[in-house]
Amino acid sequence: MKRPLAIVLIGAAILLLGVLPFFALPYHVRVGQLFLLSAVLALGWHILGGFAGYWSFGHTAFVGLGAFAAGLLNFHFKLPPMLGFVAGTLLGGLVSAGFAALVAYPVLRLRGIYFAIALLGMSQVLGELAQNVDAFQGALGLTLPDVAPDALRPEVFFYYCFLALAVGSFALAAWIRSSKLGYGLAAIREDEDTARMLGVPTERYKIITLVLSAGLTGLAGAVYAYSLGYFTAGSVFRVDFSLNMILHSLLGGIGTLTGPVIGAALLVFVTNVLLGQLLDLHLLVTGVLVIALVLLAPNGLLGVARRWRERKGR
Amino acid sequence: MNLLLQTLLDGLVLGGVFSLAAAGFSLIFGVMNVVNLTHGIIVLIGAYLAWSAQHFLGLDPLLAIPGIMILLFFAGYAYQRTLIQSAVDRSSLLASLLVTFGVALVLRNLLVLVYGPDFKSITPSYAFTNIKLGALSIDMVRLSALGASLALIALLAFVLYRTDWGRVIRATAQQDFAAGLCGVNVRHVYGLTFGVASAFAGAAGAVIGIVLPFAPPDEGHWTMKAFAVVVLGGVGSPAGALLGGLLLGLINTFTAQFIGPAFPNAMMFLVLVLMLMIRPNGLLGSAFGGSR
Amino acid sequence: MSAASPILTLRGVSKRFRGLTAVSEVDLDLPAGSICSLIGPNGAGKSTLFNLVTGYVQPSAGTIEFAGARIDGMATDRISRMGVARAFQISKPFPGLSVFDNLRVGALFGADGPRDADAVVHAALTLTGLEAQARAMASSLTVGFLRRLELARAIATRPRLLLADEPCAGLNPSETAEIVDILRRMRSRGLTILLVEHDMRAVMEISDRIFVLEAGRKIAEGPPTEIARNARVIAAYLGTDEES
Repeated sequence: MKRPLAIVLIGAAILLLGVLPFFALPYHVRVGQLFLLSAVLALGWHILGGFAGYWSFGHTAFVGLGAFAAGLLNFHFKLPPMLGFVAGTLLGGLVSAGFAALVAYPVLRLRGIYFAIALLGMSQVLGELAQNVDAFQGALGLTLPDVAPDALRPEVFFYYCFLALAVGSFALAAWIRSSKLGYGLAAIREDEDTARMLGVPTERYKIITLVLSAGLTGLAGAVYAYSLGYFTAGSVFRVDFSLNMILHSLLGGIGTLTGPVIGAALLVFVTNVLLGQLLDLHLLVTGVLVIALVLLAPNGLLGVARRWRERKGR
Repeated sequence: MNLLLQTLLDGLVLGGVFSLAAAGFSLIFGVMNVVNLTHGIIVLIGAYLAWSAQHFLGLDPLLAIPGIMILLFFAGYAYQRTLIQSAVDRSSLLASLLVTFGVALVLRNLLVLVYGPDFKSITPSYAFTNIKLGALSIDMVRLSALGASLALIALLAFVLYRTDWGRVIRATAQQDFAAGLCGVNVRHVYGLTFGVASAFAGAAGAVIGIVLPFAPPDEGHWTMKAFAVVVLGGVGSPAGALLGGLLLGLINTFTAQFIGPAFPNAMMFLVLVLMLMIRPNGLLGSAFGGSR
Repeated sequence: MSAASPILTLRGVSKRFRGLTAVSEVDLDLPAGSICSLIGPNGAGKSTLFNLVTGYVQPSAGTIEFAGARIDGMATDRISRMGVARAFQISKPFPGLSVFDNLRVGALFGADGPRDADAVVHAALTLTGLEAQARAMASSLTVGFLRRLELARAIATRPRLLLADEPCAGLNPSETAEIVDILRRMRSRGLTILLVEHDMRAVMEISDRIFVLEAGRKIAEGPPTEIARNARVIAAYLGTDEES
């Protein structure tokens, strides 16, 4: 797709999303919130998974870390709400990024399925510790003050928070992709050993990417916690967060820029709008979608679109 | 001292069940290099089938095992020859992972629709009998579970190492291309492997069903435990599954007893992560050579 | 550094692999701006020597100097950034990237950093005659083009030394001639090239100097005309009367 056209389309989409709350019912705004949150999480995961080819199955760990950082900050220090919100969110991002930096070196030596499972294991351990160690308050839960300004309904306020995060994540992903780092990551994804031989500083790049990915997810986790108002370990260390990040990226197209967002939009739409009343069949439909995706459209929707364009061009 | 020994005994019993539950997963991983995320739900299907056998036919769960194994053998074979082979042909490293995951979701949803979301358990007729070994005690249910587990693992080992088909499976695992050149129908062998693995997974489910309560959401945990067993003990061999399973069982009971009942899973994952960093192929390594 | 001083120097380099001595006390001076060939029977240690220079394995003994600096013991990516490139016999392109992007990776991470990466890529495309394939996926190329891509990507890293591993292997005569042409063009731009090659005609045609290895030891070196007449070299390849 030509660059100027793409920019116009993306700008239009952002504009549309920006004015949505003025026209939509509260329910739709909440679905919009869910979509934007999913988009941020998918984009964050995708920097590491799609660009570098390192699929983490445990990214919910960073959501949880972000949430608990914000929650515990508020628990121990009574700050004015808005200040607490900003400080908590930033702290969430920092704690997640810091934790990622700590485990990065050993964990990034693993590849493929072992890397995936190691991160899954890590997220399970963190989740259980949050639940069972009293100091983290995970079982009792943490309460966060209402930070929405009086003029806005809470769901609208958080809608815009997630929109800001989504635009920011998208911009970050776009910048990375066309930068030297992005090319290095693509090389790592395609053939890590050859990349190394060509001079790509693979260890350093992987660590940077994991830390960025974790930090972004941590920010989202903190804002998510505030949007819930009250959360427990179980509400933020959720396996389906990890799974959905992967699914959304796959559905849209791994390695692309807009893929994670498109995938998130589609899946959130399907499960919340189409299947809203059919809660019983959520897993079934998601499962069938995944199977169909892998067997029929392994490059995601954008891959299908590309093949269709190529065929038209003949 | 008695507490130590009792914990040890309980750990070994639990470990035996873990070993059986993981043996099929290990086989698939070793022979086909596929991480089968449908594993946990197949185990649970075995449990639900055993429950149904008892509920509708009055059949003792352990006696239902042969029937369950035959059923799941054919189902597993068909599943592999259709969906999984298609995924593997896509040549994406993680395609089979995702397909097996998708199927697990579908089956889990179906189980909930058919059996309901609540926990079920199977209570065999000898349920409340205890046997005393000196100062230690073990109940009949766990004892028969352990016995069944060990017997079934031995059966798997026998099939793999003493029968012609087992040899073919092992040869294909080591060098599938060469095996094909020797006239082996590799796809058929893969189907058989998956069928065998599914049969044993189902059998494990029946055994688990008499020891623990079960519900559809557990499937993820059983898949993870199988993975932990494989990482600990080694890929592809019943011996590796036995070693890994017993270790996992001991970790489980000792953590529950001496650190806290809420921590066994966390400890399992911690050990898993550490093991992945130090020795990802497990204590016994890959049974089929090479590092996967 | 004067024009006469060698760009690559090996002194007493040996490599032992658990009982097998692959390379034994090799001394080698590679003149800057030349094309030199490393020949010898199979198992002579040529690939190991390449692996030692690129840092893929570490020498058991001896020193390796590149452009005056010690490189034995350095990591591969560092050596690469110093200006040593390698083109493999079995091409390892990035299959999901276009030819252009393949080269761009080389250009961004090569010596001197990412300045003018696009200009470097275009130059490499022109030098190897791959302009028409620039937007094609690397996975769609045939062997002949893949070999050129391999060379082009190595050139894109702006090396001062290129180690080319059997660039003519499996090619027909006209493809071989194209590769020889490309190598000559690279030399005229100041690049030093060390080849491992079995195609003797190409070796004789293009080499300024030939180094002969046998069973890990250097048994001869010199210009092509001398090597062709060297009795020891002939014996190494064909066996002596006592053996045949």
